[in-house]
Amino acid sequence: MKKSFISRRAFKTLALNLVVWIFALAWMLPFIGLVAVSIQPYREVVVKGWVRVPDLSSLTLNNYIEALRNPLYDLATGYRNSVIVAFLSSLILVVAAALTAYAFANLDFRLKALLFATILFIMMVPQQLTVVPLFLLYRNLGLYNTFQGVILLHSAWGIAWVTFFLRNYLRFIPRSLVEAARVDGASEITIFYKIILPLSIPALIASFIMQFTWVWNDLFYALVFLASRDKQVITQKVVMLKGEFHIDWGLLTAGSIISMSTPLILYVVFNRYFMRGVAAWGVKR
Amino acid sequence: MTSAFLKLDRVTRRFRNVIAVDKVSLDVGKGELLVLLGPSGCGKTTTLRIIAGLETPDEGRVYIDGVDVTDMEPGDRDVSMVFQDYALYPHMSVFDNIAFPLTVRRGKLRLSRRDIEERVLKVAKMLRIEELLDRKPPQLSGGQQQRVALARALVREPKVWLMDEPLSNLDALVRMQVRAELKRLQKDLGITTVYVTHDQIEALTLADRIAVMNKGRVLQVGSPKDVYENPEHVFVATFIGAPPMNILECKATKEILECPGFSKPLPPSTRGLQGKLYVGIRPEHIEIVSISKVTKEDVVEARVYVVEPLGSEYIVNAVSGGEIVKVRTSRELLLSPGDTVYLKIDWSRASVFDFESGRSLGKLLKALVS
Amino acid sequence: MIIARSFSHTPPWGALVHNLVWVALHVPIVTFLGLIIAYLLKYHVRGSTIIKAILFLGIVIPPAVGGLIIRFMFEADIGIVPILFSYVGVESLSKTWTLYPQTALLALILGSVWLWLGFSVTVFAAAMETIPRSHIEAAKVFGASTWQTFYRIVAPQLKPAITVVVVMTLLWDLKIFDIVYASTGGGPGGSTTVLALVMYNYFARALDYYRSAAVAVILTLVVIPFIVLIIRRERG
Repeated sequence: MKKSFISRRAFKTLALNLVVWIFALAWMLPFIGLVAVSIQPYREVVVKGWVRVPDLSSLTLNNYIEALRNPLYDLATGYRNSVIVAFLSSLILVVAAALTAYAFANLDFRLKALLFATILFIMMVPQQLTVVPLFLLYRNLGLYNTFQGVILLHSAWGIAWVTFFLRNYLRFIPRSLVEAARVDGASEITIFYKIILPLSIPALIASFIMQFTWVWNDLFYALVFLASRDKQVITQKVVMLKGEFHIDWGLLTAGSIISMSTPLILYVVFNRYFMRGVAAWGVKR
Repeated sequence: MTSAFLKLDRVTRRFRNVIAVDKVSLDVGKGELLVLLGPSGCGKTTTLRIIAGLETPDEGRVYIDGVDVTDMEPGDRDVSMVFQDYALYPHMSVFDNIAFPLTVRRGKLRLSRRDIEERVLKVAKMLRIEELLDRKPPQLSGGQQQRVALARALVREPKVWLMDEPLSNLDALVRMQVRAELKRLQKDLGITTVYVTHDQIEALTLADRIAVMNKGRVLQVGSPKDVYENPEHVFVATFIGAPPMNILECKATKEILECPGFSKPLPPSTRGLQGKLYVGIRPEHIEIVSISKVTKEDVVEARVYVVEPLGSEYIVNAVSGGEIVKVRTSRELLLSPGDTVYLKIDWSRASVFDFESGRSLGKLLKALVS
Repeated sequence: MIIARSFSHTPPWGALVHNLVWVALHVPIVTFLGLIIAYLLKYHVRGSTIIKAILFLGIVIPPAVGGLIIRFMFEADIGIVPILFSYVGVESLSKTWTLYPQTALLALILGSVWLWLGFSVTVFAAAMETIPRSHIEAAKVFGASTWQTFYRIVAPQLKPAITVVVVMTLLWDLKIFDIVYASTGGGPGGSTTVLALVMYNYFARALDYYRSAAVAVILTLVVIPFIVLIIRRERG
């Protein structure tokens, strides 16, 4: 027979659930507001606010269109540029990562620990430190304000952290697999393609996604190294949507959503990879 | 039976579409040690957790000392539990671990720090771990950790003491020592205890009564002697006893009981059972005889499959009619696989079980006559 | 709030102070809140995977956009914080927080708590996975309350994870740039300027590469002790 009253402990569980869920929903409010404001003309929002059920007839995508098309804002170009820079930086990185995986599987050099410490150090140092000399160097090399320059920079940065990142992922591939293949007579290339590569695929996918997201989200390097309008990436452009004295929030919210769409989609699809990477910080070896 | 100190009334618990605990009713007397025995997945641990309050039953009620505790929090039930992995907190000292049940309820129980210290020392002495009080659990051996877990469970002098396979992580030797001590401890303290295990030897040695469970149901509750000699279900018969009871698929007709490899004539005046049956005979109720001793009629001819020496005795696995029959003997016979042996069955000890349900139909000879 | 003139030729101590205030507020709040939420999610609440995934959004989006959203959150009439305060009747806090020196930095810091919470919750949740369930159940059976179980059993075993969260958040707060640049640009009146921003302004606005590099070095020096700490932990 089901109990007809709520026991004290069921009540406590219910209360805690309620508190946490309300918190989570409250946490989401800014995003909800973002969407709400982006699909209405701003002049309406100014008057009536967005904390209400919107008038369906006034819903519009104008803000988005404006953000993307208007040459003053030109988010479309920004989007394209971000895709180019992020994609190429990640591609280069994955190739480097694959080779690093090979090194891990085969080599066991004395300085490994020192190498890791150095890499970790490099990862943590502020981006600001190397930027001034790099800028001057790029200017001399003609790499300033070019995609190549930025891609190179992101790739180099990425190789450092991916080495560290892969170490956790690849620890579990036993050396004996490679050695057994060698004993059986497989060539190094075969070993690479047939054993190491397939086993590293989850790690490589994760690396690609993390790098892509990181490069896409970057603002500082873009500000320093990409100056002309046709080269600027989306993070730069969306920040420019904010006027000095007056802010058109319809435009800004739409622009924000456009610029976060890509990392968001990646996150929804590859959710596991994102969270696993961060969660690893919490677990002791 | 004494009036029940701990009572389960038709407790049921489902997980998705699986019935983990199926209308289980149990009465445990004050000071009694009841063992829940069964294979993994039989529902014994879930039942224990329901008593503890870590699970809530979908149906049924739980009573402790007359109080309906079914909806109460575990902490309010005045029970104690020893977990299979001991659940000792690695960052606290042994003393703090043992004191934990007291310190978290210090206000409610109105205990001073001195009181707590006293109780912890008392219990530590009982379990002979006084020198370990300053150490931390990771520094202790398995056996020591176990004692700490026991101490912690006793420090509050609970109404019911619950144990979830506490000995399974110990080495065989340590396990036997602790088993004996545990039994003594429980008797001395007189705390009502429910003990879960899949090891039937543990059950037989420790229990005042055993509740044999399978697939969420309690098949039989009885003293170790009862459960051993009068199993009420073929499952109980085979689960208890090592090596397990021999179960033979037989067919009874008016004149003859046909079993694998042999038949036994029945007295002409029997009405009795007909059709397919399970006949059960324990390995120690079969004797190996030399052919010259008895007439051929009373004896089953079988081929040796393998002999397992156990030090003071031997388990002879013999094949009769395609089925293996295990025989226990202390005589040192020089048998090899393939040899022919003659088995004399003590039919007065044989049990018979219903073929469909597995329920016991009593001792064979009686059942046939009734 | 201390006002630092970003084009003055004095060392950027005002900005550094802002970074330190940021650390002083952000780190404790994010750590405690993260611990409590991770604990509740693990042991008491259904649908924890979804909630964790939602909170994690804060780290997935570009920090620059994060800054814009923070600006949005504190904007008069359309930001949820001013709206809340206007309902409650506190007039002074229903204006745009980021336009006033007294509230601008606080707005950014609170916004960064909102943004960064997903990180601490995820790290703590992962660390809590390593605590056997029996520990919690034993505590329950022995009568510990929810809070006692959290405080005496779970939290002490999370010390390494807490260290990670504290140091990573601290580093992030000292290096912060995108959020400030996108939302306030350091204003109003320099009340939200931070070290990295000072460096950038020297570089891009004043074209003063020497001073820019100098600030970058200062920033690095401030950060180094904590980097060493993390490296030690990872190696040990």
